[in-house]
Amino acid sequence: MRELVEFGIDELKKKDIQYGDIRLSEINTEVINVKNGTVEAIKSSESKGYGIRIIDGGWGFASSADLSERGIEETIKRARKIARASSKASDSIDLKEVEIHQDNYTTPYKKDPFKVELEEKLDYLMEVNERMDIDERIKVRKCNFNAWKTKKFFASTEGAKIEQELLKTGGGLDVNVSDGEDTQKRSYPNSFGGDFNSKGYEFFEKLELLEHAEETAQEGVDLLDAEQCPEGEMDIILNTNQLALQVHESCGHPTELDRALGTEASYAGTSFMTPDKLGELQYGSDIVNIVSDPTAEGGLGTFGYDDEGVKAKKVDLIKDGMFVGYQASREGAVKVGTEVSGSMRADGWKNLPLVRMTNINLEPGDWSKKEIIEETDEGIIFDGIKSWSIDDKRLNFQFGTEAGYLVEDGEVTKLIKNPTYTGITYEFWRNCDAIAGKEEWILHGVPNCGKGEPPQTMQVGHGCAPSRFRDIRVGVGKW
Amino acid sequence: MVGSEEDFVRISDKMIKQSDADEIEIRIIKSDTALTRYANSQIHQNIGQEDVDISIRAVFGKKTGAASTNSLEERSVKDCLSKAETIAKNQKSDPDFKGLPEPKEGKKPREHYVEDTAKFTPDERADKVKEIIEMARDEGVDRVYGAFQTEVQNLFIANSHGVKKFSRFTSANLTTTAIADWDNDQGFGWSESCSSDVRDIDHMKVGKTAIEKGLNNLNTKKIDLGEYDVVLEPLAVQSVLMYMDMMGFSAKKVQEERSFMKGKFGEQIMDERVNIYDDVSDPDMIGYPFDYEGVTKDKVEIIKDGVANEVVYDSYTAGREEDKESTGHALPMPNPMSPLAMNLLMDTGDYSQEEMIEETDKGILVTRFNYCRPVHPVKGILTGLTRDGTWLIEDGEIKHPLKNLRFTQNLIEAFNNIEAIGKKRKLFAMGFYPAYFAAPAMKIKDFNFTGTTEF
Repeated sequence: MRELVEFGIDELKKKDIQYGDIRLSEINTEVINVKNGTVEAIKSSESKGYGIRIIDGGWGFASSADLSERGIEETIKRARKIARASSKASDSIDLKEVEIHQDNYTTPYKKDPFKVELEEKLDYLMEVNERMDIDERIKVRKCNFNAWKTKKFFASTEGAKIEQELLKTGGGLDVNVSDGEDTQKRSYPNSFGGDFNSKGYEFFEKLELLEHAEETAQEGVDLLDAEQCPEGEMDIILNTNQLALQVHESCGHPTELDRALGTEASYAGTSFMTPDKLGELQYGSDIVNIVSDPTAEGGLGTFGYDDEGVKAKKVDLIKDGMFVGYQASREGAVKVGTEVSGSMRADGWKNLPLVRMTNINLEPGDWSKKEIIEETDEGIIFDGIKSWSIDDKRLNFQFGTEAGYLVEDGEVTKLIKNPTYTGITYEFWRNCDAIAGKEEWILHGVPNCGKGEPPQTMQVGHGCAPSRFRDIRVGVGKW
Repeated sequence: MVGSEEDFVRISDKMIKQSDADEIEIRIIKSDTALTRYANSQIHQNIGQEDVDISIRAVFGKKTGAASTNSLEERSVKDCLSKAETIAKNQKSDPDFKGLPEPKEGKKPREHYVEDTAKFTPDERADKVKEIIEMARDEGVDRVYGAFQTEVQNLFIANSHGVKKFSRFTSANLTTTAIADWDNDQGFGWSESCSSDVRDIDHMKVGKTAIEKGLNNLNTKKIDLGEYDVVLEPLAVQSVLMYMDMMGFSAKKVQEERSFMKGKFGEQIMDERVNIYDDVSDPDMIGYPFDYEGVTKDKVEIIKDGVANEVVYDSYTAGREEDKESTGHALPMPNPMSPLAMNLLMDTGDYSQEEMIEETDKGILVTRFNYCRPVHPVKGILTGLTRDGTWLIEDGEIKHPLKNLRFTQNLIEAFNNIEAIGKKRKLFAMGFYPAYFAAPAMKIKDFNFTGTTEF
């Protein structure tokens, strides 16, 4: 593999082009889904190929699975032809100078999930699934295991040579319940198949699905008879699984510089956090600090180098409530004179790298969740992602969670169903008045962030601790 | 890259012969996608991708295992077969699995393959984009955005029961968003066109529509929240249909009591003018004539004259019911999302969009929706926002543009509140998976808007 990349770079250097890079990846995945006592899917996949980026009057990108020198030559030819076509409607392109690296990086892990016997994983999931079978109103009970291993070789005409081996593991469980009148869903530790980290099988074991199977199933059943979420304005407390998505949608996406510059305008949308607001916008209250941190231990968005060879580093996005930084590519950083964040990533070898979230983390505060609840007169705790929607500038959002817990006079009093809340991003974050501390801070993995054309799916991380937001509209819509 | 039909036949024949499994399925998907993206009136991304995926499903009794690779080299395919067999042997039996599909004869389907689309070059795409950019500048719009995509998709399926099928199709899709700037205000406009034949894409018409909408969308105003009559353009209707499909039209969702169709078959659940069906043989449609298990796609009349009529099946969900056969709507298996209607059409009515507007005293014209998500899938409640052109209609005329609005609406109620259905429908590519939907415009009364935004 390494030899093929070196051949490709030698070929690129022979061409009269401004810039070129090649990224070859070998990706292995394993998925096991168990549903209602049977195995819904076991699949092992492998995919190998490379993508070549060229600047030659404009951008050109071509990818191929043809792992021969001839394949490389043909793909360079295709990428160059595309770049020349782009030059018909492209200004000159500048890339911000960065340190050029020749290095290796491997995800630290204890236990390779691909080396754990299939039978062991399957038997465990079957037991988890059986443990969830506690009530006839449970119509679907699912649990899953997922693992991804990616070997990447990156080289550029500037001299970068980087090899990485990235490992990701996770899983989860969920139930769908129905009494013929209503239907509810409950999951653990989160929706979208659970939780995921850049770690080995030890992370899956630590999720303790077996220990949480019965209580999750029971709460799903309890939701059928729970009261409907009240309508009105009240304080809300977001548990980390929902807060991770709130950070993702209302801070992660709008601080992507490509969105702010309009390059996703026709598809994913733009951003209200435009360059003129950098350093000027009070995004949140002064206790709100949000960073992009691909160096965070175990994060699903953790790596050594991004897909244009930039070394992973922590960058401030929101500092003491102020909007201070972007997730920026080398090209974008030149356009607005900002720092390169090391956020360019592609979905597999086939796709072009885009600005993607790494681990976008809300820094811990100095409360505990217990104290937050005790000091809340009337509020709702939101838990477990169920519905999420936000406008194309990332201002108006509406989220729904699987479960809500009513807080009255400092105590959790009852379970409520179909909880929803809505708001405008900066008003919402300015109303954040309590963030729990590092003891309750969890780094969640979101495995399905969509962006780009053709659509790409990215794995990203979000660390946060339970937090409170004052005077938020809840209970939206007719029920 | 190897990848002809002959290559696929040779590989599958060999694997079927070599396999120890009771049943075996070989599925090969080969794709070649080219896409030119433009933003701020510049081409900023321009790509060409080719890939092949070979997936093998091995079956021992009622135990199945699957593996895939993207290498067609003999050693890789053999490894893939071996992995699938090993997984299957270590699997648990699934009593509901009734076996891989048997061959089923049908009439030779129309192939949606156009050589001009397959051979469309980066230069041709760039030229069309440049003409849109220049037209926009001439109209005073300095920022247009969008993508021009052409692709060729190939699907080959063979199994040990004698299924052996190959098909391919081409698709071309052009989108344009125009952002008009005037006095610190922005107006948004959108248009798109999709066809299997790139020669059908009228790029200047797409550009012109988006530019006109953008220019007419300046100086947006807020409106009180509440229920309004809405005129939904075809793309907005398509978004709603897509979520209806995901929330209700699959046999799996019905079997698992997760569909709003559950318990409603034979009942009038929507306005009697509503006919929604999956039919890849319709002249307006693009797609493979068979599903990812090689079963010929039947026409499935999901909502017939407003009545909940039937849903789509793959071989697994069909096997869970008596006397039921797959309707040919399997996704690449194993797949938790399967089955799925992927060639959905809604019947047209007898109104033009202009007539719908003329007959509206007070209402809202919606170009398209953004980021729709189910709030309660079984109740059919969806939320989302308007995007790229929303206007107030008063006394039969478009009055002024509106700031975008959030709706939270029960779709079943909405499809009972239909005032008019458009007489033309448009085809749209779904993006995330190779599905195509054709939808007309619709006028619906009492559509519930629950929020607004700042632009």
